[in-house]
Amino acid sequence: MSQHLVSLSLNYRTTPVEVRERVAFAESKVAEAAREIRALPGFEETVVLSTCNRVELYATHAHDDGMKGHELMRDYLVRHFSLQPAHAEALVFHEHVSTETARHLFRVVSGLDSMVLGETEIFGQVKQAYKVALDAGTTGRTLNKLFQQAFSVGKRVRNDTAIQRGSTSVGSVAVDLAEKVHDLKECRVMLVGAGEMSRTCAQSLLSRGAKSIIVSNRSYDRAVELAAEMKGSALKFDEWESALHDVDVIISSTSAPHFIIKPDLIHQVMRKRRWEPLLVIDIAVPRDVDPAVNEIEGVYLYDIDALQAIADDSRRERERQLAICEQIIEEQLSKFGFPKLPSAQQLLGKVQIGPDREAVSHM
Amino acid sequence: MENYRLLLILATLAFLGGLVHAIAVLKSGAWRESRWHLLPMGAGLALLTAFLYFRGHAVGQCPMKSLSDILVFIAWSIAFLYFMVGGAFRLSLLGLFTTPLVAGMQILALTLPDSFPAYAAKGKIIPLVELHAATALISYAAFALTCVTGVMYLLQERLLKRHRIGGLFHQLPPIQDLAKSIRRLAMLGLVLLTASLAMSLALQQSVTNPKVIGAWAVWVLYTIVNFVMWRHLLSPRQLAWLAVVSFAAPFVHLWLVNSK
Repeated sequence: MSQHLVSLSLNYRTTPVEVRERVAFAESKVAEAAREIRALPGFEETVVLSTCNRVELYATHAHDDGMKGHELMRDYLVRHFSLQPAHAEALVFHEHVSTETARHLFRVVSGLDSMVLGETEIFGQVKQAYKVALDAGTTGRTLNKLFQQAFSVGKRVRNDTAIQRGSTSVGSVAVDLAEKVHDLKECRVMLVGAGEMSRTCAQSLLSRGAKSIIVSNRSYDRAVELAAEMKGSALKFDEWESALHDVDVIISSTSAPHFIIKPDLIHQVMRKRRWEPLLVIDIAVPRDVDPAVNEIEGVYLYDIDALQAIADDSRRERERQLAICEQIIEEQLSKFGFPKLPSAQQLLGKVQIGPDREAVSHM
Repeated sequence: MENYRLLLILATLAFLGGLVHAIAVLKSGAWRESRWHLLPMGAGLALLTAFLYFRGHAVGQCPMKSLSDILVFIAWSIAFLYFMVGGAFRLSLLGLFTTPLVAGMQILALTLPDSFPAYAAKGKIIPLVELHAATALISYAAFALTCVTGVMYLLQERLLKRHRIGGLFHQLPPIQDLAKSIRRLAMLGLVLLTASLAMSLALQQSVTNPKVIGAWAVWVLYTIVNFVMWRHLLSPRQLAWLAVVSFAAPFVHLWLVNSK
């Protein structure tokens, strides 16, 4: 009997996190799970992918149409995680066979199936899942070939399109901007106000290598607490103005009802800085920074709307790139000898009878 | 057609090819920093070097007398300095901004009336004279790159001010790095020109020679530019404008002296 490529996918689109977390494999258990699935009747090769957003099982199964394979894999998950009937019923899977399995994997590796369209982390996660399966000896000729093809498609999509271009969150837009003004390794950041959003921006900057953080807040205790969390230093609220000339990025998020950063202050700061560029990020509502500050030479002011607009533009740009990415995937499927079929979107939610199929199933 | 002229046409095509490719990739939104972008620039530089070799043999001396030859020598110097500036810039868009300048100079050289004339036979070659001329032209190439970097700074500055965070924005280096590059390139040009003029003093060239007067005028201008940069007397944006506008001086100097 011939072997069919099959996959079972449970992800953030189909299943809420409180259910998804019940069927997530711990990193140390993935190899064991792959071996257990391969030991099920009719299975020859398996790869298990388990991340915070998805649990996916890829396999080759000897059956006429692959349906039996899906059933066995679903049962395995219920059994392995000892799911109560209510939880088992809440599981919604995407099932793929043959070409659809390949197309799905190619889309996953390329970040087209991710929550943040075009994100790159998934590429490494799939690579790791494949490596674990390879080391566990649960892959063979078919899955080895499929995953190598998937990595090549993922690289091609990343290199030939702008699917990863730009930032889609306010925090990462702030980092992008800071990188285009300063060398981040030399970048000193000051938080004026210790709101959640400014904390997120500062953490993004730190994670990308910003040199130091100074936190100033009306409540000094809160400033000390946040500074300790970010390995920075705290500054009393009546001292932040005098320290401004020494920082390269200001993130302001106080609850003041009026502008606290005005052109006169920034003029003085810029003279002291000898006109070294200064990025000012104002995420307070009402705004903390007078918009006239952006007119000063060497000062680049972005308020929350400007940051959000940039993130939205990037998201739209990525969506525009989606069609190009899908086209590349179709070309590659054809090049690798998979039969030509309607695209994944056209099939999503439909059950097709035949050897190539994507279906949505409930337990 | 002479061999060297064909080499120059091929070099021009290499630079233009690189430019067209870069613009097409940028428009598609798929520009990535890649060593492949160096290929047309490297090919252009190799062809230009071959041109200088064959042209030098044809005229029996360093080919730096006619305006067309000088333009090509400066184009070669710009391409050469481009590879010396640093990986971060080579792999970013500096190449894209450099190629039109280089290709434009070569097209001008090719289309000038009576371009690449035969030189009068030269007596004994004095190495110091050749070195003096070559150093002066390389310094002008450094000023040309200062101008290109200034344009990049002004562009990135405008994008940042107006919140135009698109494809080009992501490919341009940080403005602080661009400001540093402007300062370094202007300083490099000044050091080279100073060395060249010191050689001319050693050669006891006449101070009334229009070439020497023009070179001294350029030296004075770039000394002032470097002083202003060193003392931070202007904002980085004003300095970028200064770097762009100042390049008119060496360009006009060469034009006036050699177009006679």
